[in-house]
Amino acid sequence: MLRAGLSVKTLWQLMEMKTKTCLKVHGRMADLQHAMGAFRWMSSVRPAPVLTAAPVRALIDEQISIKGRFLPPNSPITLCSRMHSEDGDLWEAFAHYNTDASGSFSLTSDRSVGGSYTGCEPMGLFWGLHPPPGSREGLRLRKRNVETPYTVHVSLLKGHVSPSGGPITELAAVTTERSYMAPGVRRIDIRQNGIVGTLFLPPGPGPFPAMLDMWGMGGGLNEYRSALCASRGYASLSLAYFEHKDLPGPLRELNVGNEYFKSAFRLLQDHPQIVAERVGIVGLSFGVYLTLNLATQPGINPSCLICINGPMGRSHFLPGDKGEVKYWNYDERGYIAFRQISLPSNMAPEYKVKMEKINCPLMYIIGEDDLSSASTENADQIEEELRAAGKSHLFTRLSYPGAGHLIEPPYAPNARVTMWRIKPEKMVALFGGYDAPHAAAQEDAWRKILCFLESNLRG
Amino acid sequence: MSSQAAVFLGCSRSGVGCLVPSTWMDRRKCCVQLSVHPSRGLIDEKFNVQVQKFLPGCQLTVHALHRCEDRNSWEAFGHYMTDASGTVNVSQDTSVGGTYSGVEAMGLLWSLRPVPGSKPGLRLRKKNVQTPMEVTISVYQGHQTEGFVDQVPLASVLVERWYMAPGVRRIPVTEDGLTATLFLPAGPGPFPGVLDLWGAGGQLVEYRAALLASHGFASLALDYLTCKITMETGKMVDNQYFETAYRVLQQHPQVLSSRMAMLGFSFGTSFTFKMAVYSQVIKLRCAVCIGGSHVQPIDASVKEMFTYFNNNASKIRVNEKNEVIWRDVFQPTADPSIKVDMGRLQCPLLLVVGEDDQNWPASEAAKDMKEMMERAGNSHLLTILSYPKTGHLIEPPYTPHVRASIFRIFDTHQKLMLLWGGQTVEHSRAQEDAWKKILVFLRENLYGAANPSATLSSHL
Repeated sequence: MLRAGLSVKTLWQLMEMKTKTCLKVHGRMADLQHAMGAFRWMSSVRPAPVLTAAPVRALIDEQISIKGRFLPPNSPITLCSRMHSEDGDLWEAFAHYNTDASGSFSLTSDRSVGGSYTGCEPMGLFWGLHPPPGSREGLRLRKRNVETPYTVHVSLLKGHVSPSGGPITELAAVTTERSYMAPGVRRIDIRQNGIVGTLFLPPGPGPFPAMLDMWGMGGGLNEYRSALCASRGYASLSLAYFEHKDLPGPLRELNVGNEYFKSAFRLLQDHPQIVAERVGIVGLSFGVYLTLNLATQPGINPSCLICINGPMGRSHFLPGDKGEVKYWNYDERGYIAFRQISLPSNMAPEYKVKMEKINCPLMYIIGEDDLSSASTENADQIEEELRAAGKSHLFTRLSYPGAGHLIEPPYAPNARVTMWRIKPEKMVALFGGYDAPHAAAQEDAWRKILCFLESNLRG
Repeated sequence: MSSQAAVFLGCSRSGVGCLVPSTWMDRRKCCVQLSVHPSRGLIDEKFNVQVQKFLPGCQLTVHALHRCEDRNSWEAFGHYMTDASGTVNVSQDTSVGGTYSGVEAMGLLWSLRPVPGSKPGLRLRKKNVQTPMEVTISVYQGHQTEGFVDQVPLASVLVERWYMAPGVRRIPVTEDGLTATLFLPAGPGPFPGVLDLWGAGGQLVEYRAALLASHGFASLALDYLTCKITMETGKMVDNQYFETAYRVLQQHPQVLSSRMAMLGFSFGTSFTFKMAVYSQVIKLRCAVCIGGSHVQPIDASVKEMFTYFNNNASKIRVNEKNEVIWRDVFQPTADPSIKVDMGRLQCPLLLVVGEDDQNWPASEAAKDMKEMMERAGNSHLLTILSYPKTGHLIEPPYTPHVRASIFRIFDTHQKLMLLWGGQTVEHSRAQEDAWKKILVFLRENLYGAANPSATLSSHL
């Protein structure tokens, strides 16, 4: 049957044809399975393809090395990743590769020639995840329960195919689990002294350096960055300050003031397993303003500050507030870019943080395609004021072209657009950022954040 | 310095200690970094333990603590010296003392032993394979040998060791009167099937089958001694029970019917040899037998095997420590009527032998099987892995070795201290090497050789 020079592709097609013939002869399911199995093994020349991922249980910021063996040489294959978010939405990514002369491939060295990403991207199957076409709009992937991992199913498919949401025929598969919490990290609900937050402690006796962790006006309580910091050896307190049921006052308003944030900082300092002199603060978006404002309060001496894409002041209105509407820009779909409101020129003078009072190293991280916050302008303003105060040695700037507002721990998908509010009316916000440069920014920024924390909290 | 509380720090190359203020020590403590990578791994996966950012030229103890399911504590430790950058890298540095010495990346696991004060005769076995084995790795100042529980370590991390990879499915099997558990690998399949048999302790032991599934083999762990049928009727299973298990596994839609193997350990090897050679139902692509013997009355059932054992009870010895040695019971003799005729074997066979096996005469049996097969002309099917100073309990790697432990007779519940044999270092190396080779052997025979012209044993 085999002619000399028969190409591998033809061989596979012949095997498929034989399978189809066999299907007509054997009608029953069990026989079908055996028939398919039998023809899969018709060739005793090659064993079944094997797909491996290492480590198969990883932390979110760890690279997973995905490899395949025992495939036909120099042949097209597709890798497809799939997972379901906590809300049940399907997220998937795929990439096209060609096996080498030995029938192997490795995502750490090979280049994708098409799909959700191209080029050599070892973690592209994770940061390139998207809801398939037809999904609900404005979805954003955020882990609410950090005590369980993301389960991502990675499949190896024959040829260069686009598996968009439908059934796929796998040659091999591997399941990976990606966690924000390392084994032994302790998660502690904090509801004391009026503070609403979650504390994460690394394993071990300590004492540990610590970070106070704040997000933006999306509100709620986002634990994942803190959990990951604790997995890297830093105690961390995720702090809720807006739109959380356990906070006082009406939900849509900011009801806590300086004393609240100071209490949170002191809670960390007073903790028996935390070194009081080694506490820093990280903020994203409006959290940057809160970080800078807190750092300049009397009696508060953080060891370092990390500011991601946020303002060094605020207007009289809060971001998202009706009063700010005149500053909003809309695109052709009616999606909103909040950016303008955070320009230093639009800030109320009494709410601009006095940067000359900052006494510790400050790292400012910019996504240059940030459509939600005027990050570059704020970084410029901060840098200028520090320079004027003779403190420019404290300032570090990281700026990433093509990256958006949500610079988060690495290897997670970017949300260029996200459903901001549903009630009283639907609002879709533009955050910016393009997949590949945003992913590169997250990876680089996180590495630099960890180095920055190491020098300032452990040096 | 004199007005502050001070801490004695065992430091400096000369070994002379120095006094440092304890506040300074606190600050140092928050700088020292202990990491284990991966923090979640499979049982047979290596990890890398590193201590960083301590003082240079200092004595440190790296310690492992595991509290097992029956609440006993196991520990291991190594004594190290930090280098010029204050680092210890367990995979590269030499342990100069403790429960293991030398450069031993995995010594913290394979040299685990019950903590002082534990009951004698303990053995570490995971019952619930759906949860990981949790090990606490800590670093202490100085070269400590005891009292770890009473001290505060410099740092501590938790490591998970799993038998089941993500996506592996655990399916209890009770059809056709079986007491078994099926483990299916992640992925579409279909997969080759492995029937996994343990020894005379009975119970449904799942961990090796779970681990095999994590490596791509649909594996059926089978209880053939304390199974439901036997517990309810008092009757031991017949040989058809094994054939039923094989059939159930083979017919599973995600199992490749033509790619089946058996893996037997200890008493389980008796049934593996028997089925591989005589069964009309069981057609194996290959078989693995660990720590066993082909000696048995021909076509004996389980009951008859025990009768044979009891008839040869005079060959059981007890040493000066009251440890029971069973190895002489299944010794091969020249009598062919009490041996499986290995000359009729038609599939590749891998024998794993501990040369210090005190429970089964694996070495003598392997030698006898080799001779039988050479006479019959099928010895090209045989591969023997023989390990010096290695005992009976050749298990997946990086799990602790015990030379003797309490064994409960499955039907009378009588307890004995059985001598298994083996010296910890050599036995642990053997476990690591044997497991690797078992996986290669299974992969080559069940998934097909990567190089079609390669002989069966050349890769091993």
